[in-house]
Amino acid sequence: MLKINDLHIRVAGTEIIKGLDLEVKAGEVHAVMGLNGAGKSTLANTIAGREDYDVTKGSISYLGKNLLDLDPHERVGEGIFLGFQYPVEIPGVSNLNFMRTALNGIRKYRGQEAMSAAEFMKLIRSKASALQMDPEMLKRFVNVGFSGGEKKRNEMVQMALLDPKLAILDETDSGLDIDALKIVAEGINTQRRSDTAILLITHYQRLLDYVQPDVVHVMIDGKIVKSGGKDLALELEEKGYAAVA
Amino acid sequence: MEPTLLNRYEDQMWELVGMMPGTEGLRMRALKAASEMGWPKKHDEKWHYSDTRALRDTVFLQAKAATTVPGMPAPLAAETSARLVFVNGRYSEDLSDMGDLWQAAQVRPLANHLMSNMDRADELVRGKDAATCLNTALMRDGMVLSVPAGVEIEDPVEIIHITEDNADAASHLRHIIELGEGASITLIERYAGDANGYWTNSVLQARISENASLHHIRLQEDGANAHHTGKVFANVGTDANYTATNLNLGGALSRVEVNVRLMIDGASATVDGVALAATAQSHDTYTQIEHLMPNTDSDQLFRTIADSRGKTSFQGKVIVAKDAQKVEAEQSFKALVFDKTAEANAKPELEILADDVKCSHGATVGQLDEKAIFYLTSRGIDPATARQMLVEAFTADALKAIEFDDVKTAVLERISEWMAARADKAILQE
Repeated sequence: MLKINDLHIRVAGTEIIKGLDLEVKAGEVHAVMGLNGAGKSTLANTIAGREDYDVTKGSISYLGKNLLDLDPHERVGEGIFLGFQYPVEIPGVSNLNFMRTALNGIRKYRGQEAMSAAEFMKLIRSKASALQMDPEMLKRFVNVGFSGGEKKRNEMVQMALLDPKLAILDETDSGLDIDALKIVAEGINTQRRSDTAILLITHYQRLLDYVQPDVVHVMIDGKIVKSGGKDLALELEEKGYAAVA
Repeated sequence: MEPTLLNRYEDQMWELVGMMPGTEGLRMRALKAASEMGWPKKHDEKWHYSDTRALRDTVFLQAKAATTVPGMPAPLAAETSARLVFVNGRYSEDLSDMGDLWQAAQVRPLANHLMSNMDRADELVRGKDAATCLNTALMRDGMVLSVPAGVEIEDPVEIIHITEDNADAASHLRHIIELGEGASITLIERYAGDANGYWTNSVLQARISENASLHHIRLQEDGANAHHTGKVFANVGTDANYTATNLNLGGALSRVEVNVRLMIDGASATVDGVALAATAQSHDTYTQIEHLMPNTDSDQLFRTIADSRGKTSFQGKVIVAKDAQKVEAEQSFKALVFDKTAEANAKPELEILADDVKCSHGATVGQLDEKAIFYLTSRGIDPATARQMLVEAFTADALKAIEFDDVKTAVLERISEWMAARADKAILQE
């Protein structure tokens, strides 16, 4: 589904990703682990299409398409979702309006008709309740005044609503207490299907107790230095990055 | 006295005196004052952000009457108590619809009013400058509306001004509003016109009695080459309220001044506004709110956006008189600029002579939040829609006082259209 070859990325003139290869197939869950500054978020944001990240070399292909040719909203239309490490607060825009515009943006891209307000309300209520989100949160401004956990849960509701083929979740587990972590993990597991792929970006293995990855990658200084099964995450936790790499 | 072009308006003045006999004293005094003061220039603080050269270097004729039926702008409110239409500065009976308003209130054309009651025409007008004096000297038409005590007019009264085919000509309009005790009304004052370089110079004066309330929505959509100078003078009585939403979208040069005097305990005012300046437009708003007595409140909130080489300015003066204790006055101004050639000016000015007051002001200038744009686009929302959502969110607070949903929707549509025009332009430039 996703194939990255010899990827190099510069951010504000500094090379952050220095020749990265990664392949994720449908039905798989991959975890990319690494310390702060290893370039994990840069990778995630580049796949989503952040403009100020400059791909200087290499390629990203997604379902046979050159992903780098597409604008961020087009990538979403093609089925990519990025769960943000720091979801952005947008005062003045209600969560409901945001999600409905997003869903209808994707439908428009796919040549489908816009979803009616009534149909949308039914859908969003069911998604929110599955993730135990208070329906009142839907009426509030996007992420404004949300706790860290509420923001992450809001990301999960958006993922469930937009139903991506490839979900990239950037530190979705950080800042969550154990109850919230379980709910988020359940959301991820619901999205795990034979026709979807999930890329988890994290530096703790805690989340991986609840979402079992098929492949674990260790990222250091802009490259994947080691890949293995889910035991690799436990090994990292036990021995630290220096020993494992 | 310096010779000034303002003297050359004398012929026009005598023509108007001929039409409205008895008004010569008022008009002559005003024209003399205008000539003595001369046009405001850059060093006049209140006009600092507006370049008045185009106005002071030309003698604008009186706008001539229309020979064809003008294009009417779409109504803002679905239901109105009355719709008054002025074409080229003249009341048009054919295009107006007085509805049932005449049954509840007294509405008269300015000319009739001046015949019987000339003093009223100018008495609320303070802080005079050449534009206002010229308006008094040359006022030709307007609406005089008196709402009797206790009468609440539910649907808005819409006054539409249209100017067509009048290059280098001016309309000097004067509207006089009088609200009796406990009366209330929503007034929509609108300006629109074609691409000629005409000048709209209007003055609206309102006297709001005890417990009365005036909701005023002022939508300036004059043509792209028009000059617009507009003034509002409102006197607010005991427990009475003046609420205004000023929307400035049109004109090459637009300067709107809102003067509110909170006369007696319990008087309050909300003065909000949105200005959207496209390339080569200058939108200047000057407000002056005087708290003359204790326990008077005011609240101002302005949101403006300037595109490349567009300019928005806001000067807000709050005066709290000696012994006017327990006054609360708030002021918030936020501007967005789309690039480095766009300009936003903000100047709050507080003159506080009482000691037990709560006054605050804040001003910020910034650009659209790129992080928020990325967040929205990363959810499948296209960039133009994302920008539009952020702009709508940015302006929403300044539209809070508009109580009619259809009016608010119509205003939001204009903001959307304005943003869509920017997006189209950006695509053409790529």
